[in-house]
Amino acid sequence: MNQQEKIKLAKQVMQIAGIFTLVVAGLLVINFIQLRKYEPLESETLNVLVEQLKNDPRNDALKEEIRDFDLLVRKAYFTSEWQVRTGSILLLIGGILFAVSLKVYTDLQKMIGLPEAGGEHFFAARNKAWRWLLITGLILFGMAFIASYYSTNYLENYFPESDTEIAASTETGDVEIQVLEIRDSMDADMQQSSDQSAGTDTSGAAGAAEESEGTQQNTQADAPEPEQVYGIEEFKKQHNTFRGPMGQGISYHKNIPVEWNGAQGQNVIWKVAISKKGYNSPVIWDDRIFVAGGDSESRIVSCYDRLTGQLLWEKRADNIPGSPAKMPNVTDDTGLSAPTMAVDGYRAYAIFATGDVIAFDMEGNRVWARNLGVPQNHYGHSSSLMVWDQKLIVQYDTGKGGRMLALDTKSGDTEWDITRDNHISWASPILIDHKGQIQVVTNSDPNVAGYDIQTGEEIWKVAVMMGEVGPSCAYSNGLVFANNEYASLVAINPEQGASVQWENYDYLSEAASPVAHEGLLYLATSYGVFVCYDAKTGEQVWEKDFGVTLYSSPMIADGKVYLMDNAGVMHIMKADRSGTIVSEPGLGEASYAIPAFADGRIYIRGEESLYCIGK
Amino acid sequence: MKRQQQLLILLFGFLLMFSMAGAQQRFPKPEFESGYMQPDTTTPEPRAAAMEFFDVLVLIGVMSLATYLIIRKRSRRGILWLTVFTLLYFGFYRNGCICPIGSIQNVTMAIFDPGYKISITILLFFLLPLIFALFYGRAYCAAACPLGAIQDLVVIKPVSVPSWVRKTLGFIPHVYIGLAVLFAATGTDFIICRYDPFVGIFRMDGPYLMIGLGIALLLLGLFFARPYCRVFCPYGVLLGWMSRFSRKHITITPSKCINCKLCKDSCPFDAIEAPTDEKVRTEQAVRKNMRSYVIFGLLVPVWIVLGGFAVSQSHVLLSRAHPDVYLSELLIAHPELKSDTENLDIQAFLESGKSMDQLVEEASVIRGEFRTGTWILGGYLGLVLGIMLMNQFILRKRDDYVPHKRDCFSCGRCMDYCPVDKTF
Amino acid sequence: MAEDKAFNRREFLHRGARLTLGLSLAGVGAVAAVNAGGEKYVWQIDPFKCTQCGRCATDCVLEPSAVKCVHAYDLCGYCDLCGGYFKPGVTELETGAEKQLCPAAAIERKFIEEPYFEYVINEDLCIGCAKCVKGCGSFGNGSLHLQIRHDLCVNCNECSIARVCPSDAISRVPASEPYMIKGDFTENQEGEDQA
Repeated sequence: MNQQEKIKLAKQVMQIAGIFTLVVAGLLVINFIQLRKYEPLESETLNVLVEQLKNDPRNDALKEEIRDFDLLVRKAYFTSEWQVRTGSILLLIGGILFAVSLKVYTDLQKMIGLPEAGGEHFFAARNKAWRWLLITGLILFGMAFIASYYSTNYLENYFPESDTEIAASTETGDVEIQVLEIRDSMDADMQQSSDQSAGTDTSGAAGAAEESEGTQQNTQADAPEPEQVYGIEEFKKQHNTFRGPMGQGISYHKNIPVEWNGAQGQNVIWKVAISKKGYNSPVIWDDRIFVAGGDSESRIVSCYDRLTGQLLWEKRADNIPGSPAKMPNVTDDTGLSAPTMAVDGYRAYAIFATGDVIAFDMEGNRVWARNLGVPQNHYGHSSSLMVWDQKLIVQYDTGKGGRMLALDTKSGDTEWDITRDNHISWASPILIDHKGQIQVVTNSDPNVAGYDIQTGEEIWKVAVMMGEVGPSCAYSNGLVFANNEYASLVAINPEQGASVQWENYDYLSEAASPVAHEGLLYLATSYGVFVCYDAKTGEQVWEKDFGVTLYSSPMIADGKVYLMDNAGVMHIMKADRSGTIVSEPGLGEASYAIPAFADGRIYIRGEESLYCIGK
Repeated sequence: MKRQQQLLILLFGFLLMFSMAGAQQRFPKPEFESGYMQPDTTTPEPRAAAMEFFDVLVLIGVMSLATYLIIRKRSRRGILWLTVFTLLYFGFYRNGCICPIGSIQNVTMAIFDPGYKISITILLFFLLPLIFALFYGRAYCAAACPLGAIQDLVVIKPVSVPSWVRKTLGFIPHVYIGLAVLFAATGTDFIICRYDPFVGIFRMDGPYLMIGLGIALLLLGLFFARPYCRVFCPYGVLLGWMSRFSRKHITITPSKCINCKLCKDSCPFDAIEAPTDEKVRTEQAVRKNMRSYVIFGLLVPVWIVLGGFAVSQSHVLLSRAHPDVYLSELLIAHPELKSDTENLDIQAFLESGKSMDQLVEEASVIRGEFRTGTWILGGYLGLVLGIMLMNQFILRKRDDYVPHKRDCFSCGRCMDYCPVDKTF
Repeated sequence: MAEDKAFNRREFLHRGARLTLGLSLAGVGAVAAVNAGGEKYVWQIDPFKCTQCGRCATDCVLEPSAVKCVHAYDLCGYCDLCGGYFKPGVTELETGAEKQLCPAAAIERKFIEEPYFEYVINEDLCIGCAKCVKGCGSFGNGSLHLQIRHDLCVNCNECSIARVCPSDAISRVPASEPYMIKGDFTENQEGEDQA
């Protein structure tokens, strides 16, 4: 082979290797762009299909489609991974071949020659060098200097105290009390004055001040007529909170219907479509019935005429200081409006998964609103409100730990705010009247505990629960009952030195709360078994397997147990040791809410509509 | 006292962890009746520590051999094969990590952060090439550096770059090493490793941008030889100082230079200096240069103060590279982000239970370190600038073609071209 | 003669500079050596700090990540309804793709005895996304957790995941104890507590 042939060969190898390398590189780039665009394992299509399956769990064709698609995306992912791996090896080989042949090619052509004479002029080059060096250095220093004008030192703008007031709406507790105190004392001086600027002068905290300014107006407006504080006797006439008065699951109304057919309209007095979805249950005060709803667009409270079904008012919970612009992540089976409202005859209160708490008066005028700090909750906040003696009780156990607050019902200001040593929970507080003292009783992981409603002081606690606690407690005859799936069912004497009186592991509920009534305890498991225990001993009295998911809590009314299943069928049984099934009327649509009772009537929130049932 | 506190915190942490672990056991492990044997959790061992020492031995071996080949054997071919070996061993087999270039940061951290434990092998990786350079020049660059190796092998058609461009670009490595030391000393970042352009190629995996940069540098390297080494390499700054005063450096010719000029174009790095032209180096020129030299020498303190002042102005901006500073400023400027559940860093901070005050205090401490650090960095850059300017007015007499001891990578190409003592 | 003198002076200066450089090098080496030890360090995730943010899957320099899910069988409840295996809300416990949480189908579910199931991670498929870890932790015992696999990890000088880890869960550990497997790891800690 002579020199020319060698050069030719090297050139050909070089060209082939170069083209090969370019092609492989191009393929890799295409692969990269495709991966960036689609990310097979994060496939949106798959998520949509799975969502569809949730609504239609028995669709085998859909299942098959998902499986095929899943196989496809995984194949796509692992194939592209293989392609990248193989491609980069080929690229490397091609690159080496190219470099070697190029080297040979140039070396063969190279002739050693004398360097060109002259080159750059010595001093001219040096002069250029030092000038450019100086310019570079000065440009660099100049840029560093200019950088100071384009970077604000935020750390210097940080003032520890004011910041906790403005920014940390999650920890407003102490601060707000402080503001409240100052303002209260001023209120006294300025009782008749119409000057509203007092609030703004009290502190530098913009957020707190703004809020108190708004609330102050209303407090003063309400001030002239002192409110009557309703107690147990009045509450028994109502259905004013989650699971009825005091949240115990017992209604005191009579003549409750047992027969209806929602689909055919039998015994349906009225039915209205609900504006926005929500898993909360209706609450009633006199002739008004309230429900809340919410989606990422807005959160609303609706008030209907209990007798006619006419929508009296519907108000948005918006423009609340501290409320997040972006909705927290919640699951579809919890949503943004899972907690049930509370109503006390003067105002209706609602809380949403955003941490917004809002109060409207009975006519729909906004009284106050505040944000408690967006709860860190992977399903969505679901603990319902409880009201007693001008205090709104909020069980606020989040990912950051246990917390419970009492808000002044008139102003929304914090009455007490306690941190509790428990994990996040989804259960709601109940009120019990134990030996003449009103206690707030809560269920959480790990503590079942009772608190003095006036001060928030813990009276007793027993660490027996675990897991993600959803069911609230029940109370009857001096015993508190608590349970949670994968934990245990326990009876506790709710006083100092509280201890477990009996425990049982046979059946445990996941979402539904137990109810205790006249020596019997009723409990609904999520997988469809409804059980009755002897409340004193914990022995099982009877059980029924309805074979359908039970999320709604049983209610006792008129001597019967009313248990709504997720399919919308009400299972009505005698609340006694026989447990005889009275009837099982259907609503004609799914329902997850707890029925509300009024004299001779039952109110049920279906997935889409609100029903009034009676004769 | 501080150590005790740390211990207490550590102990508390362990207790907390254990209690958490206890509480997490929601479902006790079942007792199996079917004789089920529980599999072991697989835990493949990392590369043995002894192998790291083996790497040190290989490094010493390669550098010794390179020195032998350069100084005694004068074999460019030998260096070439050694380069191939380095590329395969330190590059593709050892994945380019750990290398002396990155070890600058480990050593810096070991000096500034008492809690940081540096392994002795890394320290040796840092020191050995410098010691070799102090005695025999940049033998490390010649054959033992995988980054140098991959670039050296693609030098195909190098072009000569005007000296003023080279000298100006020569300022960049100083900025790079200064920033790298500043960031490492404040525990902010390891920028040398993060922007290592060739490690992605050695691993055949990595962020696409970095691999792209690596390939781009290699393509550039076809014409502008060893671009990373000459324009960026921060370790090259240290090696350059050592090599500048090395005891026995590579020579182009084995005996007496015959001024045949053949070597002039052989160096792809423009690191060969020509003999002084007596027409240029006149009595008058020497005097004039001497005057400029003294003036620029007197100006050095000015550059230092100017640099320190100017660069220290950027400490706010630079300190934002530290995650804690960044987070605390973000939260001060945008408190509403606290409710942004998508922002993982903010959510993790809120979950950690650390208070905002604490975070801001820590961030302020770091920013304070940056203030001091940027003064020193600016002073250093001012000093470098001053000296580089002074160097432009040295008019030393040179009779032969000699390699520039600081810039020469000891690759040995020039030896091949030198006809002295060669028989054809 | 004058040339010689100049040469000698330069040689003298060079020697001085060389000595200075050598000494400063020795000084730097000595200061750094105070913190030096023969121990090798590797990166590892503390499973108790990990918040399963998912960055391990995306930020490793390797693709797929050197972080994989491991199973601490000692802590496993062998649940039928495994929160790490099934998507949330699944009631029919079948192995269909529509029910599996793992996007890469890297978890194998095997029946052992009524009512217990064994879950084994296929590491070749695992991409370290931590979805199962989150599921197991929020529902079950938390026996599934992430670890850096040292047969894959290239032990970067600065771990690029550690840099972005929001909870600082990744740190350097001595290579002699390269894993923090839940259970073993906590037991060790307890031993140290008592000691």
